[in-house]
Order: sequence, then C-alpha cells, then structure tokens
Amino acid sequence: MSFLYFLINGISLGSIYAIIALGYTMVYGISKMLNFAHGDVIMVGAYICFFSLTRFNLPPLVAVAAAMLVCMVLGMTIEKLAYKPLRQATSLAVLITAIGVSYLLQNLALLLFSPNVKVFPSIVGNGKISMGDIVVSHVTIVTIIVCIVIMVGMTLFTGRTKIGKAMRACSEDKAAAQLMGINVDATISVTFIIGSGLAAIAGVLLCSTYPTLVPTTGSMPGIKAFTAAVFGGIGSIPGAFLGGLLLGIIEIFAKAYISTQISDAIVFAVLIIVLLVKPTGLLGKKTREKV
Amino acid sequence: MGIILKVENINVYYGNIHAIKDVSFEVNEGEIVTLIGANGAGKSSSLNTITGLLRSRTGSIEFDGENISHTPAHKIVSKGLALVPEGRRIFQQMTVKENLDMGAYTGRDGFDDRLAEVYERFPRLKEREKQIAGTLSGGEQQMLAMGRALMSSPKLLMLDEPSMGLAPILVEQIFDIISSLHKAGTTILLVEQNAQAALAVANRGYVLETGRIVTSGTGRELLNSAAIKKAYLGG
Repeated sequence: MSFLYFLINGISLGSIYAIIALGYTMVYGISKMLNFAHGDVIMVGAYICFFSLTRFNLPPLVAVAAAMLVCMVLGMTIEKLAYKPLRQATSLAVLITAIGVSYLLQNLALLLFSPNVKVFPSIVGNGKISMGDIVVSHVTIVTIIVCIVIMVGMTLFTGRTKIGKAMRACSEDKAAAQLMGINVDATISVTFIIGSGLAAIAGVLLCSTYPTLVPTTGSMPGIKAFTAAVFGGIGSIPGAFLGGLLLGIIEIFAKAYISTQISDAIVFAVLIIVLLVKPTGLLGKKTREKV
Repeated sequence: MGIILKVENINVYYGNIHAIKDVSFEVNEGEIVTLIGANGAGKSSSLNTITGLLRSRTGSIEFDGENISHTPAHKIVSKGLALVPEGRRIFQQMTVKENLDMGAYTGRDGFDDRLAEVYERFPRLKEREKQIAGTLSGGEQQMLAMGRALMSSPKLLMLDEPSMGLAPILVEQIFDIISSLHKAGTTILLVEQNAQAALAVANRGYVLETGRIVTSGTGRELLNSAAIKKAYLGG
C-alpha cells in the first residue's frame, strides 16, 4: 500500500463528495437554504439504478439515465411542494422542512425498498488496472473522470450559457434579476433539477465504490459533502470541488495513516479549524458595498 | 405626446405600515418626470410597485395602454419598462459585460447594436468590459447600472436615486447623462433626494411626503415655490 494508492482513492472519494457538494452549493447559492434532503436524493438515485440494473436488466448507461431522470423530477417536486411555499419564511422554518423531507425520503425508502441491504453491482464492472506497483479499480478511474467532466461542464454552463448566467444573477440578487426579466422561480427550479441529477450520478458512483445500499446510504456522504461545500466556501462552485477533493483525500489519509475509527472525527476537526481561520471557507467570497 | 405611464390611486403596505397612500401620477412620452421627497416618503416604493416587486392593494398602473398592476416583476422589462434600482444593484461578482448581457436577457434581436450604443455612451464600460463589476468605482457602477437598463431599449427608463452616495463631480456627470438620454428621445421617471438637481432637468415633478403626493407642477414652478425651497432646497 503506497502513498500514491491512497492519494488516488482519496481523489476518487473526494470526487463523489465534490459532485454531491456541487448540488448543495448551487442550491444554497440561489435559494440561501441548506437542502438536507440532498443526501437522500443520492440514495433514491442509487435505488433506481439498482432496480434498473437487477430487475429490469437495463444497460448501465440507461440505468444511470433513469436514475437521473427520476431524481430530477423528485428534486423539482420537493422544491415545488416543500420549499417554494416557504420562500418568504424564516430560514429556520426552511431548514426544519428540509430535515423533514430528508426523513420522509428515508422512511419512504424503508417502506418501498425494505431495510435489507442491497448489494449494488458496480456500474463499470469489477475490473482493475495496474499502474506500476499499484492496482486501481475501474470504478475509481471512472469516478475521477466523471468528476472532471462535470466540473468542466458546470464551469462552462454557469459561465457561458444564458440560463447559467441567470442562475448566477439570481444567486446574487433576486430582485435585480427579476428586473432583468429573469424568472426567478423557474431558475430556482432548474437549479434543483441540475443538483438532483448530479446527486443521482453521485449515488451510482458511491454505491459502485461502496456496494452496500440501504435507505440511509445517502445521509453520511450527504453530511460530509455538505461539510465539503462549507469547507470550500458555500455558494462557490470551484469551492465545492476543492472542498470535496480535499475532504476525500483527508479522509482516506486519516484512515490509512492514523485510524479508521476516528477518521470522521479528523475530517470534521479539519472543517472546524478551517472555519475558525477563514469563516467563509477556502474560496468563499466576501462582497462589500462601494460608494 | 401620449401618456405612457399612468399610476392611479395606488396604496402599498409593508405589513401594517401604510407606505403609499392614494398616489396617482402620470408620465407623458418624451418627458422627464421626477418624484422628489425626503427619505421614506414613498418614492422608491412607488417605483418598485410599478415594476411589480411590490403590490398595490388598490388602483391601477397602466403602461403603454396596458394594465400592468398584476404583471409579474420578471415580465415587466419586456414590456419596455426598465428600472435602475436604488443602490445600483449591479451583479457584483459578474463581469461588466455579463451585467450588460443580463440587461438584454429578454431581448432577442439587435444585441450588438445596443451594446455598441451603450459603450458609446459609457466608454469607460468598454474599457472595463472583462473586469468584475464589484471592483468598479461607485460612479462606474452607476454607469453600469444605467447601461444595463438601457440594454433592454426601454420605452420608459426609471432611475431610483442615481446620484446617491456619489461625489459632487460624479453627480453632475450622472445628471448630464440623464439630460442627454432625454435629448436622445428616452422618456424618464426620476426619483431623487437631490431635489434641486432633479427639478433642474425635469419637465414636471411630484412632491411626496409620508406616502402622499402633496404638490406637483413643472420643474421650474417647483424650483421657485417657496414651500419646496423651504422643505427641500435649503431655504
């Protein structure tokens, strides 16, 4: 077991956190709410993919597409039914609602899918390749590649496209965005749809790497990805990627070199230290009024 | 010269606070009309009600012959009404060019022509095209906010306290720009605390006090009125 091996696995785990963190951070950016149900959308995505593969024998790419589609509809519906009516409410009410939605999804999954552990078949098989003296699984490589593609894609989307720019405008100032003619409600909806689609991808990658699927599968990665988003600077897209990657690497190194039992404690301790030193997170933005 | 904007008998509340009381006024095509008054008199609330960000409980707002009292805020700009909001409200983290893109969000054709026009009027914006808007000076930010609104080629341009927080030399510059926009044929509704400067460029003005219009007249009449002088122009 070499340093390089741990590093690659850390980057791979970090890639999953980054993809989840992206959903958190985009939704936070535009609606200033922490969507704690985001982690459970991951779980739903994984179950949909699981059943598509095992029960309906769909090809892997179709199964992923089905998972994304269901999660996108789910994300849009959650936003419409649970969060939109609370647009003017206090942030505490929205937060508690999000936690409620999270429990709702978990318990629905318990009812529908049973608490039994499902063994998730890896989406890209169990192949491995050896690079020098280390052996890396296909899943690890695919995860890293998917993360890079998403990172480039989201950067282009928010920087170049009309709807992407509208999302950034809404994140900064909703009233001013409306004055530009931007439909803020529709833009928030699109953000939830994109975030949930990404959550489905993250769920598939997560369960391909760690193949135990239960109704609470999404909670811990969800919380860690939320940590990653805060770590990188909540609201910042590059911050989500940086935070996710660092968190994954720290977690794997902590497991490898310090202790498996306290690796989570180390991860959260790092978060606390970063926030003490830089409260806005690594890439968090501060704006000030100019006169 | 037809009436382009007709505000009739609007009443706006913030919770239980009655912010605008039976306010009616109108703007004719080609005019500069100003609403003046002290802080909290209801000037900005009036503009925000016209743009749909606030709602009136009564009355109606007619723009270009169409009742827009219930039109959602994001559909107002495509009707030809643009607001330069109080405090500028530019998108600080976006570039100058991206801010102007947003101004033309609903526009379909002629983007390049309008961009060229805005850059011609505000050459500084062209120089700083790729700069992050939050790093501009206050005066430049105001120009950006005005340029952004002009990108929608509005029939009526509404300006909310464009001179607020600016150095005197910049205030003068902003009012020069307002005059030249007017000369170029833009109809303008201007809200200002700087009553002197506003009345000097305006064809007509309305004076608001605690949510009510207390007097109105031509710019010159109001400038010379003893009551206005006493209340707003420092004696």
